[in-house]
Amino acid sequence: MGSGSGEGFGLLAAGFARQPVREESAPQPVDDTKLVSAAREGDRAAFGSLYDRYARMVHGVLLARVPVGEVEDLVQDVFVLALRRLSTLREIGSFGAWLAAIARNLASDYHRRSMPEDQLTVDASENEIEIPMTAGDREGPAAAILDAIRSLPDAYREPLILRLVEGMTGPEIAARTGLTPGSVRVNLHRGMQQLRAKLSPSSGRRPEQEGP
Amino acid sequence: MDAGNNEKKRELRVMGNDYLWDRSGEPDPEIQRLEALLGRFQYNRPAPVFPEIIPARRWWFFPIRARLFPALAAVAAMAAIGVVTFLVYQRKPNKSPGWDVSAVEGTPRVGPKAISGKEGNGRLGVGQTLETDLQARARLQAEEIGQIDVEPGTRLRLLNMGSGLKRIALDRGTIRTYIWAPPGQFVVDTPSAVAVDLGCAYTLQVDDSGAGLVRTSLGWVGFKLNGRESFIPAGAACVTKPKVGPGTPYFEDASPEFRAALRRFDFEDSTSRQRGEDLAIVLAQSRGRDALTLWHLLARVDESQRVILYDHLGKLAPPPAGVTREGILTLDQHMLDLWWNELGFDDISVWRYWERSWSGTAMPANAK
Repeated sequence: MGSGSGEGFGLLAAGFARQPVREESAPQPVDDTKLVSAAREGDRAAFGSLYDRYARMVHGVLLARVPVGEVEDLVQDVFVLALRRLSTLREIGSFGAWLAAIARNLASDYHRRSMPEDQLTVDASENEIEIPMTAGDREGPAAAILDAIRSLPDAYREPLILRLVEGMTGPEIAARTGLTPGSVRVNLHRGMQQLRAKLSPSSGRRPEQEGP
Repeated sequence: MDAGNNEKKRELRVMGNDYLWDRSGEPDPEIQRLEALLGRFQYNRPAPVFPEIIPARRWWFFPIRARLFPALAAVAAMAAIGVVTFLVYQRKPNKSPGWDVSAVEGTPRVGPKAISGKEGNGRLGVGQTLETDLQARARLQAEEIGQIDVEPGTRLRLLNMGSGLKRIALDRGTIRTYIWAPPGQFVVDTPSAVAVDLGCAYTLQVDDSGAGLVRTSLGWVGFKLNGRESFIPAGAACVTKPKVGPGTPYFEDASPEFRAALRRFDFEDSTSRQRGEDLAIVLAQSRGRDALTLWHLLARVDESQRVILYDHLGKLAPPPAGVTREGILTLDQHMLDLWWNELGFDDISVWRYWERSWSGTAMPANAK
């Protein structure tokens, strides 16, 4: 399924020869503020730096919600949308939380578009949307573990994917998403506890060891 | 050592696993294995060339004369700085513990003060009351706690804003909360039960009779009154009534017959036979996920009904090791908790741990 980012996507597709996403060792909120301010003034390089800094967070937020094969396009969509709406961001210190909210909304839009109209209901259970699998998701034990994480409650999926897939630490997750360290820590531990239970031999879901 | 202390030790031991948090502790082989396996999904695409950014034209409304005459522009800038400084100093010194209040619609009131505008120009302090009439909606925000949307026709009071416990009383109306404070720290007293956030988003309604309804959309909520507890995970709801307390939680997609029978069972003054008939409807209509409801009913039925309920729940979710029929029939708390954890909603030890931080003072709002 296409991501439908509309205008600007051709430019995005043409520009993939740039440097890879950099590993961030520690959150730098002051620099973020400067970068956001510069980007609002039209500095594309500054926005590129914000992309470097936040792309993994956005990827993790989306990976917690949509099929693997759709995530990369949606990451680009999130940043294009953010770029267009940058002037509407009120608190530039909240860029990460704002970006995460855009990613979550786009994931919801993805599910709405994927769902037949007569299934759309306003129900408190809408947060338990089952993530459809695509061919790209079926990659052995890693995919099985990812499945297990994505079957956890919403609040646990995100921090666990950011920690185990994207390689971010708890403090980084908190800084990037705008959540408090306390809630991230609690959700990481509770999510890990549930994941261990799901992957335990008695659950029948534990994937086989990989490699020789 | 009592069971409570053991639970606390267990929670602290789990939270002490620093490798999961920041990789600083002793490496956990299981987590390292997961990192190695899942690393293949890590995002590593380069930054694309982004389209041109058109800066917002924020100063277009300045009169042309101001742009033509630098001195006049400088005076205007100084005046603007003065106004901003004045406004900042007007607001900052009074930042006592509380919630920022903004009007989403109409004119909410904090005590006698009318709140207008969406810039969070009001403050709800401890002991103060926020009211919305039928045309007004408000938003409460506290950086370290979360956000509460207050619907029309609501009255709430801020009772406590301590470092470990944030407590409000919802006397009537509807609030929609999204809480990011640690589980167990945000508590809402209603006239018929106390709602405790366990890391979640939920809607809480209280009508004029004091009856309440909680609907959870993320995480889970604990509802308690006088020892009667209900746990409401995402997708589920629970009604509470004055003098009765929280009813039995149910998933909102359960059949209408299931929900109607459950409501009669919980709140109507029925005969034993009628209660038996309602329980039979609930059991007949229950699906796998309705183990949520059946588990709660174990402590709410009489002994003969508990036998039937045990067998039925066992078919939906077999009891784990360490849980015996005899233990459940005598309502052994430890076994009930083990079975709850097996249902896959959340770890009940989180509730048992945090509950002690507020239950000593828990009472419904109208009892104060």
